Amino acid sequence: MNAIEVNNLSRRYGKVQALKAVSFSVERGELFGIIGPDGAGKTTLYRILCSLLLPDEGTASVNGYDVVSGMKEIRRRVGYMPGRFSLYQDLTVEENLRFFATLFGTTIEENYDSIKAIYTQIEPFRKRRTGALSGGMKQKLALCCALVHQPSVLFLDEPTTGVDPVSRKEFWEMLSQLKEREMTIVASTPYLDEVRMCERVAFLSEGRIRGIGTPDDILTTFRDTFNPPAIENPEAGTKSNENAIEVKHLVKAFGSFHAVDDISFTVRKGEIFGFLGANGAGKTTAMRMLTGLSQPTDGNGKVAGFDIRTEYEQIKKHIGYMSQKFSLYEDLTVAENISLFAGIYGMDDGEIRRKTSDLLDRLDFSAHRNTLVSSLPLGWKQKLAFSVSIFHDPHVVFLDEPTGGVDPATRRQFWKLIYDAAKQGITVFVTTHYMDEAEYCDRISIMVDGKIKALGTPEELKQKLGQPDMDHVFTFLARQATRCAD
Amino acid sequence: MVLKYLLRKEFTQIRRNSFLPRLIIVFPIMVMCVMPWVMNMEVKNIVVDVVDNDRSTQSQRLVHEIEANNYFVFHGQQPTYAAALSNIEHSTSDAIVVIPQHYSRDLVLGRTPQVLVAANAVNGTKGSIGSAYLSQVVIARASPSAASVQSQVSTLYLYNKQLDFKRFMIPALFAIVMMLMTGYLPTLNIVGEKEAGTIEQINVTPVSKWTFILAKLIPYWIIAFFVVTVCLLLSWGIYGIVPAGSIALVYLLAMLLALFFSSFGLIVSNYSDTMQQAIFVMWFFVVMLLLLSGLFTPTRSMPYAVYLTTYVNPVSYFIEAMRTVCIRGGDMGSIYHQVLALLGIGLLMSMWAVQSYKKNC
Repeated sequence: MNAIEVNNLSRRYGKVQALKAVSFSVERGELFGIIGPDGAGKTTLYRILCSLLLPDEGTASVNGYDVVSGMKEIRRRVGYMPGRFSLYQDLTVEENLRFFATLFGTTIEENYDSIKAIYTQIEPFRKRRTGALSGGMKQKLALCCALVHQPSVLFLDEPTTGVDPVSRKEFWEMLSQLKEREMTIVASTPYLDEVRMCERVAFLSEGRIRGIGTPDDILTTFRDTFNPPAIENPEAGTKSNENAIEVKHLVKAFGSFHAVDDISFTVRKGEIFGFLGANGAGKTTAMRMLTGLSQPTDGNGKVAGFDIRTEYEQIKKHIGYMSQKFSLYEDLTVAENISLFAGIYGMDDGEIRRKTSDLLDRLDFSAHRNTLVSSLPLGWKQKLAFSVSIFHDPHVVFLDEPTGGVDPATRRQFWKLIYDAAKQGITVFVTTHYMDEAEYCDRISIMVDGKIKALGTPEELKQKLGQPDMDHVFTFLARQATRCAD
Repeated sequence: MVLKYLLRKEFTQIRRNSFLPRLIIVFPIMVMCVMPWVMNMEVKNIVVDVVDNDRSTQSQRLVHEIEANNYFVFHGQQPTYAAALSNIEHSTSDAIVVIPQHYSRDLVLGRTPQVLVAANAVNGTKGSIGSAYLSQVVIARASPSAASVQSQVSTLYLYNKQLDFKRFMIPALFAIVMMLMTGYLPTLNIVGEKEAGTIEQINVTPVSKWTFILAKLIPYWIIAFFVVTVCLLLSWGIYGIVPAGSIALVYLLAMLLALFFSSFGLIVSNYSDTMQQAIFVMWFFVVMLLLLSGLFTPTRSMPYAVYLTTYVNPVSYFIEAMRTVCIRGGDMGSIYHQVLALLGIGLLMSMWAVQSYKKNC
């Protein structure tokens, strides 16, 4: 008998058809992947299978129980890990786990063996507040919480978005251990290396299943979406010698903890500089100092020729910034967002109107001029947010994990925009967890435990450390981390 | 000029909000149409039981007098005091009048019969006022001479001739309106931006502290101005109550209170990271400020130590000044003390607010 049977499942929200005639089955003990762009209907599918949402048409059963009539049985047997962290940020690690155990009428002690492999990794921090954990640790804890009642089916909705490559690898190693215990796992992910770890995958797009098969089959059939031709950096090696960013011995300490511990580097004008590091290595803290949001404890730096200690208000006039949290106002339209940020940088109405039309034409976005940002797909929001952040032609633009949670094709399009910006002479300072994106950068630095452990072009780093690709370079360095994440 | 774009954004966001525009319309209507009727200290409809042990013409007259009085609701005659007391215990009546045996005979013989008035004093005001009314009626009936003495004392009610409680409450209600519109709303707005992460985006732009703060406050000041106007119109339209003093002073006081509340709200939002936190902190202080302000109870009857807090409570100054202007028709000269105090506290708080908003830490 199959663990999951889905027949002709449909669901609509008002005018939006979230799922349309979806059918597939998953065998007991299978690791099944659901992949597809943002807004494809993945979360709706998960919610229906967990009996949180009723389907409009069609049937689905999990472990032989119908999702409509067998609600109670299903909830006792499945573990669900929603995409966004489902943990209580104010409770400690142990309190969270105990809470979820109590919900299912069990205790940590009773099921300790089944979560031991994962829980031992976070057990040293069991007294710590969950909100203070790094992304990777939170995911491990969320997984423990989903496993504590020994479910036979596990649903994972993009569990590794925003998590660094090393933590992601560890996470998937855990999943394969679970598989050995005959657990059925359905997972979705935007990362190709993770897709390859599934036994079979279904490609979901606009609410329909486009194909089901082995990862290789699907990735080959839908090459355009998942593996679009790599884009070439149009002008490598023709950067000016002027420095856009200069940092010397920069330190940021919180009490005795050195989040950023004596880093020095320079970024030349017009360069695309990748600033990599595991969750909690100190990237965001360093970036906050460079953008004038926080004061360094020690050392000094210059951005666009201004001192980050004293002239931070000057810096702000000459930089753009886009963060992982959304930087656009969701309740304003596309045009209103553009005009707000342009107005802040001192453009007048006429200029704003002209440049807005230009921009929207260039992005092929004119039809959505008066659409609320909240109703745009994630990939579009990101492109728009980036365009807004360079709308005032800044000297440097800072991008903090700009492409979290979108598919490879959309990410490529995003990088085209970055290249366009660099061509105009804008220096790009970017953090990312996607190692294919790291390859697109002119130079990269890798931060481990608050220090820069490697700095150079992707080629140089690969040669120096004797690793085949950036993914291995990163893993090689990040595994040397001694301090616990965060 | 940056301010223009930020203001446009704030107004667009307020308009798009599914809840705020309705609140802005419904709130003043609620406050003006319902509150003056319920926030009322007048004692009416005292339910009275009578135990008549005399059953004479004289005692029946007294009973009829009570029955006819507007302030009392005659509940009925009870056979014994115990029966009447059980009514009080069940909260079906508020007071008992016990007429003694030989009431009529004693009156005629010029002795002084003792009529007992027992009142439920769980609500002290109601108990004492009710029993006072009752004894007045009893005395007037028993000795007409006493009533005539009373008629020789002339009482002159100043300012509020009809002793209309609404006239007293309405000026104070403006404090509640200002608190919500200029205190709560901007605070929640700023903390909302913190939670959404958009404030970070504004902090990396060259928008100055002052511009950002003003852009957050001006929309709510304008809304408060509008709401105050609606409230004044409603109180004129529904109750026919207009401020006895200058309208300009009413607006001046309202804006001074707005300065305090919005600075206070900003301080709270600067120190809180979540909506939940901000709401609880605001709630705590707002309840304190209102209860200790003299809005519901006279400040002078508070314990002395608590009374001293009214010297730093801006709501208290506001209510005092508003009542002076609206009821007694006071001019600037009679409220300059309160105006200065409000201005002082407001400026102090706003300095703290600007100081605690950090774009770079």
